[in-house]
Amino acid sequence: MNKALKNPLVFTLFVLPALFLFLMFFVYPIFSSIYYSLTSWNGVSDTVKYTGLTNFKKALGDERFWISAKNNGWFIIFSCFVQVPLIVLFSLLIANVKKLKGLYKTAVFMPAIMSTAVIGILWGFIYEPNIGLINKIIGLFGVDPIYWLSDERFAMLSILITNAWQWTGFYIVMVLAAILSIPGELDEAAKIDGATGVQRALRITLPLIMPIISIVIMLSIAGAMKAADIVIVMTKGGPAGSTEVMATYMIKYAITNFKYGYGNAIAVLIFMFTLVVTAFYQLVIARRNERIEY
Amino acid sequence: MLRNLKKSLPHVVLLSYLLVILFPFLFVLFSSVKKDNNEIALNPFGIPKEFVFNNYVEAWVNAKISTYFFNSLYISIFASVVTILLGAMFAFAVTRMRQGKWNGILFSLVLIGMLIPNNALMLPIYTIVRKLGILNTHWALIIPYIANAIPFTIIILAAFMRSLPREIEEAAVMDGLKAQGIFARIIVPLTIPAMVTVFIVNFLGNWNEFLLANYFLSNDELRTLPVGMVQFRDQYQMNYAQMSAGIVYSVVPVIIIYAILQEKIIEGVTAGGVKG
Repeated sequence: MNKALKNPLVFTLFVLPALFLFLMFFVYPIFSSIYYSLTSWNGVSDTVKYTGLTNFKKALGDERFWISAKNNGWFIIFSCFVQVPLIVLFSLLIANVKKLKGLYKTAVFMPAIMSTAVIGILWGFIYEPNIGLINKIIGLFGVDPIYWLSDERFAMLSILITNAWQWTGFYIVMVLAAILSIPGELDEAAKIDGATGVQRALRITLPLIMPIISIVIMLSIAGAMKAADIVIVMTKGGPAGSTEVMATYMIKYAITNFKYGYGNAIAVLIFMFTLVVTAFYQLVIARRNERIEY
Repeated sequence: MLRNLKKSLPHVVLLSYLLVILFPFLFVLFSSVKKDNNEIALNPFGIPKEFVFNNYVEAWVNAKISTYFFNSLYISIFASVVTILLGAMFAFAVTRMRQGKWNGILFSLVLIGMLIPNNALMLPIYTIVRKLGILNTHWALIIPYIANAIPFTIIILAAFMRSLPREIEEAAVMDGLKAQGIFARIIVPLTIPAMVTVFIVNFLGNWNEFLLANYFLSNDELRTLPVGMVQFRDQYQMNYAQMSAGIVYSVVPVIIIYAILQEKIIEGVTAGGVKG
């Protein structure tokens, strides 16, 4: 009876276009990256010279590469230790207020749908030393103007704050959805037993939303490893390369300086770093959370 | 008294957070109707004494907003629609057709695509696009955008199609419909709600995309809105009032769409969160 749905020709025709694009833009690039990372190709010429692991040795010996890797690390640290506590706090607060819940949710989510490039421009204006919002505010307290984006001490922090400003609301909405899906009886029971609001939040809600917090952390790590456009728009990696991240370092070499082989070695390193960080998180931290839960 | 304080404390905290989110937008909005940098410097927080709308006229002309806006609009819509079509065909084949183990193998393969940090693939994609001879044309963005959104699209649509009852197509087969007919006349109309969600997510992703748009196009007429805005900023850096008007132009359409479709958008984007 279901002959119509067993037609291999139709099946192939339906699957093929998407599969073709997938192979071409996801699978092939991985192998291509690995292959060219072992060469000194400039991206244009016909001859491709095999150079073994030279590119990797060069990258791992380059101080600038480590500065950019460290900045990716700052993205991760900032999201885990600054953003995540704020996300949990704000979502618990929003979940427990009676009025204005919808307004809070809608408003905090808004920056997440905007272009990172435009947000970078907007915050570039806010950080502007002479007329920008932040220096005007701290000026009210008599603090001297700070050159947020052109001072090596503050540039990275300024980017991290902008990034947090854009994405915190997004994660709040995710965690909020998890909190609101917890059955009300649990909270009721604790209330009857005399638990205070803070106790209920810490002992009932928090353990139950651990899995979603874990996802938030995983997504933040993935986002941190990919960060590039915000850096390009706000500082172009400067001042003096102090805000470079791995992706911008890769682009700088491969596209701007025609060191295509070297750029691909960086791409492979980004892959490996992502794998290591995610695996480390999954094995060491996420597992333990799971155990606490039960 | 104490009870009231306890009740209003969360609101105080949340309203301050709201202020942090919304004030930057207000700051830009106010700045966009001020005469020049000097007036912004003298009165940074408030509404200007007299409104100067000239910035909007100048920004529209200088920033070529209309060109960038329509480039972004048609690239984003076109790429999202094609992704949905190809994704729906694939999802239909692997969830509703019967090809034994192939269904599972193909679906898992695409699932892996979600785990790949796509910025790291930018260089090989650049080479592909150059070899195809489409560098510096809109195709250089459209084709990668279509491909890039395929895994997410397939996962969401496949989950939705799987939940449709089997009886539907059994009846259709009895009526003599072939697989193509079942797809076009029965499954697609039923999947529209999921497609709307996927469309919004893909559209926003394409609309906001910066890296490829920045490096794959060098002709000014072809640029998309985010890249055009950055370039406008670099050219008119000293004129913040005009730049603010430019920001307002690029932010307002998104806010309007968000105001109308916020429930759908929040649902879709957080589902797409797995995509990062």
